[in-house]
Amino acid sequence: MDAPEDYVWPRATSELILLPVTGLECVGDRLLAGEGPDVLVYSLDFGGHLRMMKRVQNLLGHYLIHGFRVRPEPNGDVDSEAMVAVFGSKGLRIVKVSWGPGRFRELWRSGLWNMSDWIWDARWLEGNVALALGHNSVVLYDPVVGCMLQEVPCTDRCTLSSACLIGDTWKELTIVAGAVSNQLLVWYPAAALIDNKPVAPDRRVSGHVGVIFSMSYLESKGLLATASEDRSVRIWKVGDLRVPGGRVQNIGHCFGHSARVWQVKLLENYLISAGEDCVCLVWSHEGEILQAFRGHQGRGIRAIAAHERQAWVVTGGDDSGIRLWHLVGRGYPGSGVSALCFKSRSRPGTLKAVTLAGSWRLLAVTDTGALYLYDLEVKCWEQLLEDKRFQSYCLLEAAPGPEGFGLCAMANGEGRVKVVPINTPTAAVDLTLFRGKVHSLSWALRGYEELLLLASGPGGVVACLEITAAPTGKAIFVKERCRYLLPPSKQRWHTCSAFLPPGDFLVCGDRRGSVLLFPSRPALLKDLGVGGKAGAVTGALGAGSGSGGGETALTEWGPVSTLPSLHGKQGVTSVTCHGGYVYTTGRDGAYYQLFVRGGQLQPVLRQKSCRGMNWVAGLRMVADGSMVILGFHANEFVVWSPRSHEKLHIVNCGGGHRSWAFSDTEAAMAFAYLKDGDVMLYRALGGCTRPHVILRESLHGREITCVKRVGTITLGPEYEVPSFMQPDHLEPGSEGPGLTDIVITCSEDTTVCVLALPTATGSAHALTAVCNHISSVRALAVWGIGTPGGPQDPRPGLTAHVVSAGGRAEMHCFSIMVTPDPSTPSRLACHVMHLSSHRLDEYWDRQRNRHRMVKVDPETRYMSLAVCELDRPGLGPLVAAACSDGAVRLFLLQDSGRRLQLLAETFHHKRCVLKVHSFTHEAPNQRRRLFLCSAATDGSLAFWDLTTVLDHGSGALEPPADPGLPYRLGTPCLTVQAHSCGVNSLHTLPTREGHLVASGSEDGSLHVFVLAMEAPELEEAMGGDLVPQLHVLEEYSVPCAHAAHVTGLKILSPSLMVSASIDQRLTFWRLGHGEPTFMNSTVYHVPDVADMDCWPVSPEFGHRCALGGQGLEVYNWYD
Amino acid sequence: MGRTSKDKRDVYYRLAKENGWRARSAFKLLQLDEEFHLFQGVTRAVDLCAAPGSWSQVLSQKIGGQGSGHVVAVDLQAMAPLPGVLQIQGDITQVRLSTAKEIIQHFEGCPADLVVCDGAPDVTGLHDVDEYMQAQLLLAALNIATHVLKPGGCFVAKIFRGRDVTLIYSQLRVFFSNVLCAKPRSSRNSSIEAFAVCQGYDPPEGFLPDLTKPLLDHSYDFNQLDGPTRIIVPFVTCGDLSSYDSDRSYPLDLEDGSEYKYTPPTQPPISPPYQEACTLKKKGRLAKELRPQDCPISTVDTLSQPLAAPQRHTLLAPEVRKPVAQGPLCPFSEPTVEDSEMNCSP
Ligand SMILES: C[S@@+](CC[C@H](N)C(=O)[O-])C[C@H]1O[C@@H](n2cnc3c(N)ncnc32)[C@H](O)[C@@H]1O
Repeated sequence: MDAPEDYVWPRATSELILLPVTGLECVGDRLLAGEGPDVLVYSLDFGGHLRMMKRVQNLLGHYLIHGFRVRPEPNGDVDSEAMVAVFGSKGLRIVKVSWGPGRFRELWRSGLWNMSDWIWDARWLEGNVALALGHNSVVLYDPVVGCMLQEVPCTDRCTLSSACLIGDTWKELTIVAGAVSNQLLVWYPAAALIDNKPVAPDRRVSGHVGVIFSMSYLESKGLLATASEDRSVRIWKVGDLRVPGGRVQNIGHCFGHSARVWQVKLLENYLISAGEDCVCLVWSHEGEILQAFRGHQGRGIRAIAAHERQAWVVTGGDDSGIRLWHLVGRGYPGSGVSALCFKSRSRPGTLKAVTLAGSWRLLAVTDTGALYLYDLEVKCWEQLLEDKRFQSYCLLEAAPGPEGFGLCAMANGEGRVKVVPINTPTAAVDLTLFRGKVHSLSWALRGYEELLLLASGPGGVVACLEITAAPTGKAIFVKERCRYLLPPSKQRWHTCSAFLPPGDFLVCGDRRGSVLLFPSRPALLKDLGVGGKAGAVTGALGAGSGSGGGETALTEWGPVSTLPSLHGKQGVTSVTCHGGYVYTTGRDGAYYQLFVRGGQLQPVLRQKSCRGMNWVAGLRMVADGSMVILGFHANEFVVWSPRSHEKLHIVNCGGGHRSWAFSDTEAAMAFAYLKDGDVMLYRALGGCTRPHVILRESLHGREITCVKRVGTITLGPEYEVPSFMQPDHLEPGSEGPGLTDIVITCSEDTTVCVLALPTATGSAHALTAVCNHISSVRALAVWGIGTPGGPQDPRPGLTAHVVSAGGRAEMHCFSIMVTPDPSTPSRLACHVMHLSSHRLDEYWDRQRNRHRMVKVDPETRYMSLAVCELDRPGLGPLVAAACSDGAVRLFLLQDSGRRLQLLAETFHHKRCVLKVHSFTHEAPNQRRRLFLCSAATDGSLAFWDLTTVLDHGSGALEPPADPGLPYRLGTPCLTVQAHSCGVNSLHTLPTREGHLVASGSEDGSLHVFVLAMEAPELEEAMGGDLVPQLHVLEEYSVPCAHAAHVTGLKILSPSLMVSASIDQRLTFWRLGHGEPTFMNSTVYHVPDVADMDCWPVSPEFGHRCALGGQGLEVYNWYD
Repeated sequence: MGRTSKDKRDVYYRLAKENGWRARSAFKLLQLDEEFHLFQGVTRAVDLCAAPGSWSQVLSQKIGGQGSGHVVAVDLQAMAPLPGVLQIQGDITQVRLSTAKEIIQHFEGCPADLVVCDGAPDVTGLHDVDEYMQAQLLLAALNIATHVLKPGGCFVAKIFRGRDVTLIYSQLRVFFSNVLCAKPRSSRNSSIEAFAVCQGYDPPEGFLPDLTKPLLDHSYDFNQLDGPTRIIVPFVTCGDLSSYDSDRSYPLDLEDGSEYKYTPPTQPPISPPYQEACTLKKKGRLAKELRPQDCPISTVDTLSQPLAAPQRHTLLAPEVRKPVAQGPLCPFSEPTVEDSEMNCSP
């Protein structure tokens, strides 16, 4: 017999949980948030900092927290100490907490009390707690001793979906119960005078046509609010509910949510509701919507709390984010749309164009060629000049810079450009640049040192003007510096321009959607001797003088680098340079991140804007380092924050086709547009920053489908990895060099996320989110892990290549680089570069004789990925994909991930393939061989010898049935019927005898066997075409290992294996002594776990394990 | 996405329509029967949570030989009538004795041979709540079964295989001599649903059925939370391997050579609780917030939190920051006070 302690070791302990936030409550100046069984405590120091103070772990054991009830103090003062009842599902615990500046302490906690039924509501009744239970009964409980004092059922013992307890003593206790029948039942538990006999309902109230999920009672006004599955909120006038027989009157039926309403809360003057649509609405008691808070992602808002004194609303989401919003009630101080009343007898003509010079000066031109100034501070119009030559057609553009540099430019249909100093319009300078129409004007500013104006004329010629000021300030000089030539297209003009720091190049966007790079001083480049090259480019573009009617003999310089049609036919709308990157926006609904390397533009990442915003008009960097996107969404102008997913400003301006202008400073933002012959102006104080606070950033909005650990970064003490745990919670020695694991996750929410998980602090930081997929992302594979400076470079950092795949047969390849960055909370920054993508249906569409083939189903999902790194230099890895249409497909990645090609496929399984796993076989005197194992919904495993497949001349890869089709994989070298149904996890480990193979299934079983390989010796192999023979040696099955799908499985050593299942158990198994034997298991909190990854951290730290499902949990154990 | 896209994604959905079943779940019951011969010798069956009625369709066709079978169907929702099926509209968690009596009455005083329950709550996405609600439906069905089922009879009910499913197994084992967990192949791999197949109804001695009280779920005791004594009942996959794979996407022309023809759904969907909200939305009459919608103005705490790193990309290509020149280059940027006063027109 083995020593018993062998069976309890290793023990997994939870280190970190990210789960839906299901409970929120304000206690004094603290916020309690329930996440799984843990309580997060935030300090809401008014005016001071808002920050996470503490995590109180495992308060409710394996229950999830659904609510907190703070015991009211007799004197109504809960400023430093409180008793809190924490409840969720069938569990209840009382904690006594105290707090003061900078500290929060748990003074005492009761036992964890288990109820016989679900707890829908709890209420303090003096020292005891009343509980409303699942089948319509009420219990009076002594929470200190842990005993039930009384239990009273209702005569109608239906299952409830919510309940609300009212009253402060048992005698007056009233319960409003939400029954499955959609009715409200009001009854009085104290009416049961004898033997706790069932009590009949006093009143039944109908109205909702769906289940009631939440209720709130406002005693002071005698109001009750209910939230329902029918997507509505109802407000009821109920008077004092503690008095039997009162009248219940429905006074409001509020439809505003576009999905089920999970939560409702009545405040003295407002009603707050939140639901599955991720929106939190603020209503008046009369049923009018006053505010809408949008920003949570995924399946909705699960918890709400309010701090009435501070006028805060706090929401907790299924995305595990927590946000704080400001209640402002009616009216919006400091913002709104106003008409600037241009029309007047003294100002003839119709407005043609408008622009903003900084945030307080507006300029407009009329069809009489008059230029007007409106000062937003002084609020009056003033004519600056009038020039008839600009009356039939006039472009107007103010110079950039916080106050618009005091300059603006006009251009007309005859090639004339006028640069106007706003304060001294008489000093305006006119130039005739072209013989035809000026199509566009744009400015480019470098610091405060260099100001250029670009004007597009006929034939794709762009004149670049240099503007300087006389030292007196009373005159300006405009000098044509050079001319550029755009690539040919029908609408051949530029749309935007910006200096690329340090300033040697200009980045421009054009109407055809291309992004172009021009030298900012081409002549200088030539003088320096680089000009030969530039000249050659010019020549190659067929430039020269006279192609577009330029009068001067200036050379027209072509771009040194072009990304043709990057934004599609509708054109580029803006370029911005920031932080070493170039950002471009376009009318294709996307924004691009690019950089310039070796004088060439390179796309890094394409990001979609918010849904419905097909016309992205611009991009701004705001003070907190994040960016906001400007654009048009149908008739509205929208300022959208990709970081918080919030629409910060919405202006119903009628769309982007009329003249409009935008400007922002830290103090204010302004948006002006023309409407009905007048200028309309929207202004908002505070600029583009969001007034709301993200207490905790969200992770994925929907289920996590795959987790993969990429590697570890060791940050020296100089980086001072911060910790939210109080110092006394840190184990001594753990302050040492900060080990941070980099993990990537992907989700049904179509994004891939890069996370940093420091080992010492139990925190998680989302470094970046990549959103390229159009459908859910189900699988990830990582390869080529290295460091940014190469193996010799001692600096910390991590680089890797990632392939992601999912729904609609879509696959993307990108690289990530994680480097130290002291300015971020994690001390790390992640750079992502998109390399290539592949869609099966597009692949089919490209094949020439596709009419002869069965088109692949575009609904095919990629279920799992495996990377097989080849040992042949120069040949990129193979990526194997398990596909829902029954195929296993092999892709070849070449050119470090920039080319992704379908190589071969097999329909051997004929059923949905769920898993693929690759491994290599290495043995002395034998060639290294690559194997792939695939598993399907019928419980069978197939093994493929990929080395043979890739051998030229071997028969393993059959030529395609049709030219243009991928090769066909032959027959597998071994098949094993391991389970009765779907295989949801698969892993292998090389051992002395061969390979240990383990699989876990939907039926809860594990299958473990030894795979032996009889491979030919190297010399023999040279001669013939000998392939290895695979045999199954020892084979074991554990039928009821788990009560649900086994979705995670790792063989840690030849004698230890760990499995994870949807039954929420993490179980260790002993291997190597015949049948795998159960050692121990731990219950974890993430439901629907879809994937698990485990890795050794360090000898002192042991292993870490990440579980991803409806949330993320990290466990560790010592080896 | 056209109307055929669901046909492609879900082969059983399509087959159900083509075979006249009201729901794809018909195949689940058929496959369960293939494995367990549930209908053998059955003449009286109760279908709990029956709407829209495909299980009732299967039952009425398959039991009792030449149409001598009796089926009682109970659901919260009304469903289109089916020949030979008695319908009772009601909440099964709230059954009064009368419902059980009504069932027995319909069977002319005889107990039922088979009770099936395919009930599922409208899932909220919160796993613990959904699992609890599902367990309550199962226990309510079991409670009814204890009244109407003959000794030795069979009970089949939908379960969610989540964290606490083993508690349900231990509870079912109190009443049945043989409890199994079965999953028909027409149920997807990605779904946590399965069916508890309980054969040989054999209540403990002295057990008195009581419909006035709900059956409450067990809690962990000997059936440990995390120990090796958890009760995991044997798992059986039903339906033969050659049947269609519910996780696979199939081309519209199936391999059996039959040509695809679009079939409209057998039963139009029952009016959902959110119908009014949808109508209002379609008409653009959902309440909207007051416009102009924008930000209240107040100072903001910018906050640095774990899991709060703003998406910040730094320096791949270094940006050279020049000090901001305040020299005389741009005198136009700072208009003087007189200027703006001068410019003011009445
Ligand atoms: C999956 S459907 C059943 C499908 C059915 N077996 C068939 O084949 O057509 C689940 C049904 O459970 C019903 N249901 C849910 N809760 C119920 C309750 N408490 N009482 C009665 N029926 C309920 C729902 O109305 C729904 O029609």
